[in-house]
Formats: sequence, structure tokens, C-alpha cells
Amino acid sequence: MKTYARYPLYFIVPAFLLYAVLFIYPTVAGFWYSFTDWSSYSKEISFIGLENFKRLFTEGVMQTAIKNTLIYAVAVTIAVNAVGLTLALMLNERTMLGSFYRTAFFIPVVIASIIVGYIFMAILNPDYGILNKTLRGIGLDALAMNWLLDTHTAIWSIIGTEVWKSAGFAMIIYLSGLKTIPRDLIEQAQVDGARYMSRFRHIVFPLLAPAFTVNFLLTVINSLKVFEIVFVLTGGGPGYATEVINTFVYRNFAKGMWGYATSASIMLTLIVSIVAVSLLIVLRRREIEL
Amino acid sequence: MIRNRGARNRLILELCLLAWALVVLVPFYMILVNAFKDTGEAGRFGLGLPSEWKWDNFSVVFQKGKILRGYMNSALIAGCTLVLASLSAALASFSIQRNNRRFTNFIYYLFVLGLVIPVALIPTIKLMMSLHIHNTYPGMVMYYSAVLLPFSVFLLTGFLKTVTRELDDSAIIDGCGPIRMFAIVILPLLKPVMVTACLFIVMSVWNDFMGPFYLLSDSSKWTVTVSVFSYVNQFGTHWNLVFADILIVITPVLVFYFFLQEHIVEGMTAGAVKG
Repeated sequence: MKTYARYPLYFIVPAFLLYAVLFIYPTVAGFWYSFTDWSSYSKEISFIGLENFKRLFTEGVMQTAIKNTLIYAVAVTIAVNAVGLTLALMLNERTMLGSFYRTAFFIPVVIASIIVGYIFMAILNPDYGILNKTLRGIGLDALAMNWLLDTHTAIWSIIGTEVWKSAGFAMIIYLSGLKTIPRDLIEQAQVDGARYMSRFRHIVFPLLAPAFTVNFLLTVINSLKVFEIVFVLTGGGPGYATEVINTFVYRNFAKGMWGYATSASIMLTLIVSIVAVSLLIVLRRREIEL
Repeated sequence: MIRNRGARNRLILELCLLAWALVVLVPFYMILVNAFKDTGEAGRFGLGLPSEWKWDNFSVVFQKGKILRGYMNSALIAGCTLVLASLSAALASFSIQRNNRRFTNFIYYLFVLGLVIPVALIPTIKLMMSLHIHNTYPGMVMYYSAVLLPFSVFLLTGFLKTVTRELDDSAIIDGCGPIRMFAIVILPLLKPVMVTACLFIVMSVWNDFMGPFYLLSDSSKWTVTVSVFSYVNQFGTHWNLVFADILIVITPVLVFYFFLQEHIVEGMTAGAVKG
């Protein structure tokens, strides 16, 4: 009672109203539309039960999309964190151009994903792109592939593009985690004769646990929602080799099958929620154990 | 022997850093030189200087790419979202954090949920149509505010925990009502974190593609990222023009980044570090 008078609840109203109307309502309405035949073909929207979900799982493309989204998310999470952590550990040492590197490595993070997509379309061009030119230049002609048009390499090319874009973000978070580790602790271990790898395993790694939690969670959540880079680089192709959930949603949205597209995006919402919650539980528990 | 190994490790370290710096920077150099070439030469993506500097590429892009239009739309939408989202988030966070009761905590968790759940774009189109804000600037501003509120509330609530209540008390003793207390005492104290939140909001709106791509069918209101997309769709084979277009679009972002680097890095990673 007393506090509501000092800090009135109406302060929350503008923000909550915006959020409730333009975020919560569409999310909840999405659940309803996913059980309907809402489309550009008929004026009326009628309830059709689980039809959309049955179709999602009998048509086959959605399974491919879910599988690709998961492969993409796992690979991107591992690679972004591996590269980000390596860069952070290197920059935590005294180097010649430390702050220049820090600035440079973060640049791709501030560029729009769609533009990163176009940049890599040029880089991955099979005939003239700088990747294949470099590979041929150092005598690795066999590795110079048709990156985006080959069903086996396409998804890995997209994963590589995302790593290029996001490694700098993970790096900054690891760097700020590393800054919290007292120098004397490491120097003491050095005096005691601990080698780099064992110092890393027993001191640095456990103290970086919160940074790990944050980085893993953020990369997993963001990469499950991937759209722009796939849309620009392959459009989900060749065939459906790189189809992810969000490109599947767009494909059906563009065809005018709005209810069906919504049911696919509901699947994404469910997957993201389940993955985020279970990951949070596991990572928090690990943080406490360490 | 040991010193030798140290020196060798140093060298490997410097070489690795240099290698990643090249991986990151060469693509930007590629855009820069190829934006000045003619179509045939740019299509070979060479890293050499243009045999003839084609400055007209930029005037062509400015005319056909609707870039100025895109810039103005992005600036307008980002600017309005910035004011609406940051102020309403600050007000809400203040009440949520200070009350700290079951009801306000519940609202806080509803906001946090928005950090994880993907935006439901297709139902949003229908909602905007029935509210008559579809294809309008206010509609986009409200959409972005709603989507960016979770992060702002999360960030501000976390920061408010570190702002002592004693100042609130003395403001009340001085006879301030809640609104004056917020405007005169609290808001100035929030300045550093408001800067962080604002930069996050601006960068998010500027770089977003999915929002306007789904929600704006009226091309005269497209933001700069969507104008790049429609430009590439039309002139995709003219890589010199595509690179010139990309160069024009990313230059302000890069300039902005170099001048406000610390704040931008903070803005984009703050929630993560403090969470």
C-alpha cells in the first residue's frame, strides 16, 4: 500500500500497454491462428484443429527445417564460442596492437546481418570470390568448392558467415569476464609452476563460468532465430538443404498461407523456449558446481 | 631455452591476431575498391585498385537506390523509438524496481520473457491493420518500442538496484511528488545507462530487416536495410553498384562506431555482462 503511493503503478502503464498490445497479444494470437485456416484465399478464418501441425509433419520440409536449424544453432554456438574465447585469451595477453584488434574484431557485430549476407555472397563466389582465389593461390585447388550451391557445403558456408559476424561479440563478453580474474591469482599459479593449460583449466575456466552461461544462451537463442543470412545467401536452397524454420515461415507466408506459416513459427517459439530454459538450468547448475 | 619458447609463443600469438584481423578487414577493403570499378571488373572481385575510378557509381546508386529516403525513414523511426522506448522503460523500471512486490515482479518477468521469445510477425500485421497503423510510421515506432522494451527494462531495472533510495527519501521530504522525483532526481542519475540503452535501440532499429520486411508493404517507408535488399534484387548482377550501395549504407554505422566505440560495445553487450 505504502510503496504504491510513493512509486505509483501508473508509471508502468505506458511501457506495459505498448508491450501487451504489440508483443504479448500477437504472440498469444499466433497460438490461435496456428489452429486456423487463415490465408489469402478466403475471407473467413475458421478453426481447423491440429490440421496445420499434421501437415507440417507430413509434408517433410518442416522436419528438414528443424533439423537444419538445430545443426546450425549447435555448430554456430560451438564455433562462435571457441573463436570468441580464443580471441579473448589472446587479447588478454600483452600484445602489440591490442586495442586496435579489439576495435577491428567487433566491427562485423555492428553491421546488419543482411549486408553481411551480401558481402559473403561475393566472397563465396565459386569462380572469382576471394575465398576460392586464396585457396587456389596456396595450391589447395581441391578445396575450392561451389560453396553455396553444393548441398553438402551450403549450410557450413552459412555457419562460417555467422561465425565471422558474431565471434567479436562473444570475445567482448569473455574479455570482460577475464578482466575480473585477479592477476595475482594467475601469477601465483605461475610461480607454483602451473603450465598454461593447467592454469586455464583450474583457474581461468571456472572463473569464466558466468561469461560462458551468457554467451551460450545468447548464441543459441539468436541462432535458432536465424533468417537474414540464410535468406540472402541461399534462400533455403539448394533444394531444401539450408531451409531453416524462419525461411520456411517466410516461404509459406509469401504464398499467402498465413495460418500454416504461423503454426511453423509457433514451433520455433516452443523450440526456443524449451532450449533456453533447459540450457539455463544446466548452465546455472554447472556454475554453482565449479 | 625458456626465453626462446616465450619469444616463439609471442610471435605465434601476434600472427594469429593478425590473421583474424585480415579475415575481418579484407572483406571491407574488397567492398571499398570494387565500389569504384566498372561492372565487369567488379564482378571479378579483385583486390587490386580499379583500372579506372568510377565515381558515377555513387550517383547512380543515390538516384536509383532510394538511399536518402531509406536514411530518412531509418532516422525518423529510430529517433522516435528511442524517445518512446527509453522513457517508458525508465518510468516502468523505476516503479518495478522500487516496489519490488509480487505483482511488479510478475510484470518484470513478462518483460524478460520478451528477450527470449521470437516476435510473432504475421499476427502483428493483422493487428496493425485492425488498429489502422499498418504501413505507418507510428505503427513501426510502436512495434519497435514493444520489441525493444524487454532489453531496456532489463538493463534499467538492473541499474536502478545500484541507485540508493536515500535520494528518493530526501526528494519526498523536500515535497516532490512521484513525477517530479522521477524527472529531477532519478532521470539524471540514469544518464549513463540511458545512453547505453539508447545506442542499443538505435543500432537495433537501423540494422533490423525482418520487421520492415514483413510489416511494411509501402516501399516509400522502407528503412535503409530493406532498401539495400530491394536494390540488390533489381541490380544484383552489377556488383560495382551493389558494393557502392553497401558502402554508403555501412559508412555512417562505421563512423558512428569509431567515435562512440566504448558506448556502442557497452550498449550491445551490457545486458549480457550485467545479467
